[in-house]
Amino acid sequence: MIESRPPPNGPVLLTSRKDYIYYTMKIDKWTLPHLKQHLQFAIDLEFWTIPFYMSALYSIVDRTSDAFQFVQSVVNQEMLHVQLAANIANAYGMSPTFAAPVYEGKKIPHLDFKLDDPDPVRRFSPFSAEIGPMDQERINAMCLIEYPEWKSPEPPDLSDTVTEYPNIGAFYRAIAFGATQLTEDLNGGVNQVDLFSAYYRNLPSLTVTDRGEAGLNQVDLLIQAITEQGEGISRAREDIVYSFQNTATDPAPQLSHFEKFIKVRRKLPETYPVTPLSELSQSSFGPVLILRENFAALRAALEKLFSGKNPGDFFRLMVTVGADIQNCWTEGFTPRFD
Amino acid sequence: MNTNTVFRIHPTINFARLGTSDEFYLSPETSAGLPLPDTTTTGGLPIKPGTESEFIDSGDLRDADGALKRQGARFRLFAYDIVDVASPDNYPNGGGVEVVPGPLPDGRVLQEIIWTVHLANKKSGAYNVVPSRGVKAFADGKVPQLRNPSVYGDADAKARLQTLMIDPGPRAIAASSTQPIAFNAKTTPSYGDGDKIVQLLDYPVTFPAAVYSQLYQPSGPLDSLGELLVDDKGRLVVLPGKGRTAAIIDEYDVPVPLTGDLNNSGWFDDASDGPVSAILVFDDGTTEQAFGAWVVCCDPAFAPQIRNVVSIWDDVYDAWVRELDLQPDLYNRTTQQFNPDFQPAFDSMIRPIFRASALQRWTANLPELAVKAHEAVDAIDGEDDPSKTVMAGLNYIRNPNIPGETNVGVPLMPLSVGDAGLAFLTVTKTQYFFLEQWSRLKFTPDGPALGPGEQLDFASLSNCLGGRYVPGIELSYPVREPDIYITDWRESRSGPFRIKHQKLDYAKATKHEPFLSGGWIPLHNQTDGLQPGDLSKFMAVPWQTDYNSCSIHQTSINTDGVNTSTGTPTMLYWSWPAQRPDAVYVADDVINNVLPAQQWSIRGAGTFADNPATAATFQDPLQCVTQWDRIGIVLQSTAFPGRGFVPEYYLEAKSRLKVTGIPTNPVLEWPFNANPPKGKKL
Repeated sequence: MIESRPPPNGPVLLTSRKDYIYYTMKIDKWTLPHLKQHLQFAIDLEFWTIPFYMSALYSIVDRTSDAFQFVQSVVNQEMLHVQLAANIANAYGMSPTFAAPVYEGKKIPHLDFKLDDPDPVRRFSPFSAEIGPMDQERINAMCLIEYPEWKSPEPPDLSDTVTEYPNIGAFYRAIAFGATQLTEDLNGGVNQVDLFSAYYRNLPSLTVTDRGEAGLNQVDLLIQAITEQGEGISRAREDIVYSFQNTATDPAPQLSHFEKFIKVRRKLPETYPVTPLSELSQSSFGPVLILRENFAALRAALEKLFSGKNPGDFFRLMVTVGADIQNCWTEGFTPRFD
Repeated sequence: MNTNTVFRIHPTINFARLGTSDEFYLSPETSAGLPLPDTTTTGGLPIKPGTESEFIDSGDLRDADGALKRQGARFRLFAYDIVDVASPDNYPNGGGVEVVPGPLPDGRVLQEIIWTVHLANKKSGAYNVVPSRGVKAFADGKVPQLRNPSVYGDADAKARLQTLMIDPGPRAIAASSTQPIAFNAKTTPSYGDGDKIVQLLDYPVTFPAAVYSQLYQPSGPLDSLGELLVDDKGRLVVLPGKGRTAAIIDEYDVPVPLTGDLNNSGWFDDASDGPVSAILVFDDGTTEQAFGAWVVCCDPAFAPQIRNVVSIWDDVYDAWVRELDLQPDLYNRTTQQFNPDFQPAFDSMIRPIFRASALQRWTANLPELAVKAHEAVDAIDGEDDPSKTVMAGLNYIRNPNIPGETNVGVPLMPLSVGDAGLAFLTVTKTQYFFLEQWSRLKFTPDGPALGPGEQLDFASLSNCLGGRYVPGIELSYPVREPDIYITDWRESRSGPFRIKHQKLDYAKATKHEPFLSGGWIPLHNQTDGLQPGDLSKFMAVPWQTDYNSCSIHQTSINTDGVNTSTGTPTMLYWSWPAQRPDAVYVADDVINNVLPAQQWSIRGAGTFADNPATAATFQDPLQCVTQWDRIGIVLQSTAFPGRGFVPEYYLEAKSRLKVTGIPTNPVLEWPFNANPPKGKKL
């Protein structure tokens, strides 16, 4: 168990990620329920990004544009991240739930940018956490979500009342900390899902199949994949680690989500016009109603998929929801997921 | 001549397919993968010889010695009544009645039919296939480099024609004949003239063996391009060659090597093509010429029921709609706009695209996501609200009207390698318009019925590979060129999709002068019709090297090695998955209707690939010209009598490429990559 180590006495040479996690965290004791809660938080956050990013994606008119291609590659990786987070959760005995994400105001699940230093909101304002087209408010929100840990990371507050973190890096460092402490509760091979390994030929595993120290290494690998792909390593503008790069469909596999969003932000693409609500009648909301119905079915299928049950027509729903979002925009509607 | 009736041969273009056996079956007369009435068997299956329409089964693919049977192309004659002489023809006509010797509907008695076919192979004297340019290589008055440039002269040079062209001359056969006639050097060329068959004793027959004293002919002598016979109703059957090849022996007594996939100097094959004509001889001594057809002798159909998302039919139809006024209510050629009020028929214009997508899984290593998504596409019927389907908004269809989308890979479909110079394939503009109309709820369940002859045209062309003509399998980009067709089809009443025969005066044939010339080329305003050999010359020589190599590719194979696709440059995509199976389910490995792991269609000894880019191919190109006939054939499970398979499966039968033990080159899960360049990472 990692908490049995003595506290550092003077400068420490960090030779492994576990060392890094250990020495940059406050020493605290996590319980299994607390870890499971955080793993559900991870699912909530990763899953929240998918409709948000996808809606911005499919609002872009030109599918050949870099903006479209970059955001699409991020969406694909967010789907991977949901899988990875769910695999970790199942390894710790928890099958995640997929509640309907809420898109209101500036609220992004479990992230509070004001806690970060420097506060990135000044740079990425205005931003909105409401579903919308790829515009200034959306791209700023996307940059904030994927914002790197710019400074040397401070230990996050690990008390069991904490539900929000300054950035994704800190959030996952907290999870890694708890996961490390609870190695004895780790049982790989339970409800593991692998839909993406052919897209990541250089990653040794996208699942947790082992237990003990070997299983923890797998958990740690999946966490690294999420954070490396999302925000990049702790300093921005460096290529993400080779092993975590997509080997198939990514137009710029070396770029983190943050870096891709920064490029999109420099020149926002043309998006489909949205018809003002005042000009729409209730009966013309067909595309939105279809999307809501299919999205609800997709959430149910995801719960089955990540709890060892047959998800039925999961693949059809996954593909169809994307088409439904596109259909909303082309018909002049803003997609809705409530 | 009865001015109220015209006669047409159908299919307008038909396909004989090479095999190594003396035996044969007949070309399919139904359309690949489409539902048929009163059966679970889908269209595209060839027909047992001697029957009207009985499908072959897996036991009919090879003869008793295991040789691959050939596919004969069956042609029929149809009579069309002209209801109003002053009113030009339309498409679809919807009419037409098959005629055979005997009383006709108009009261005349058909006493005899004299069929004439002229096959030739001009490949070795023709121009190179240029993968990055396609038909554009002929633009601006230019032409690509000639094959076999060491033989002096241009495409029409006597020395080249006499050395490089295979021309056995025409052959005529009467409907009453009981003997086949071969396109070889032993039989005398002949043609129909009036009510007679004229022998051409001075025709300049040319085969490689007459030019080269020594040839390397690994599968036997290349001494015939096929043969003609008639069935018991006087219909014509054209049989192709035996898939033989010949190579020149160099000064060191070594066959010239196969150095590439498309344009091998010093090599010949026995694929061919040419005009099919028929003279009707009536009991009163009068004769009438039918509107002619064309036959193409080409690669076997290794998966005859697996529909191409873009077939030759789709390309031909698209060209005719947009450039030849086929259906003015669909497309206005003056404004170059589709009619926004046109309502395509779901069953014949939209559903085939959906069916094709679902069938790809049986010949390609699609991931589960794709299989399930395609199943959802296939499940759409004419009653569904498009916006409630997986095809809502055409979100995943590559738009052929936006040129840049040919560089966009996943998730846009079709996800196979594109046409010359393009990374990815698109549906045709007409197909896309139909999809758009469907998406806008502007469609009908079914459209006007095709006549029986028109149905044969559709079936024949829809069973072939379209879209990606680099150079293709049966035919190449010339099918999109208006120049090759009879364009006054309304007034002449020839009907559409009919290749214009160049007028050949056989009476002028002399022993020492080539009869045929270099012939038609695209984009050079040549509108006097095509000669024998003018379509197959655009295909690879020998065809086997192209078939072998076109399994899976990086998209940069089409773009001079430069990656233009949005994905990883080393990513591999399917080339011609429906027509050139890559990964298959072997029928013998299916137990209790549980599908086994897929195997490469080309597998076993000599196929081990240390680079996934060459997986599923014979590594030594010489092996593909000698063992192509060992490849198995994918058939619907209903063609496996007594096996109890569920009808949804399409399984490989009768492969003679043996794998013992565990394959060293298993089928990889897609996506997968070619090896990166030396010193580079994946």
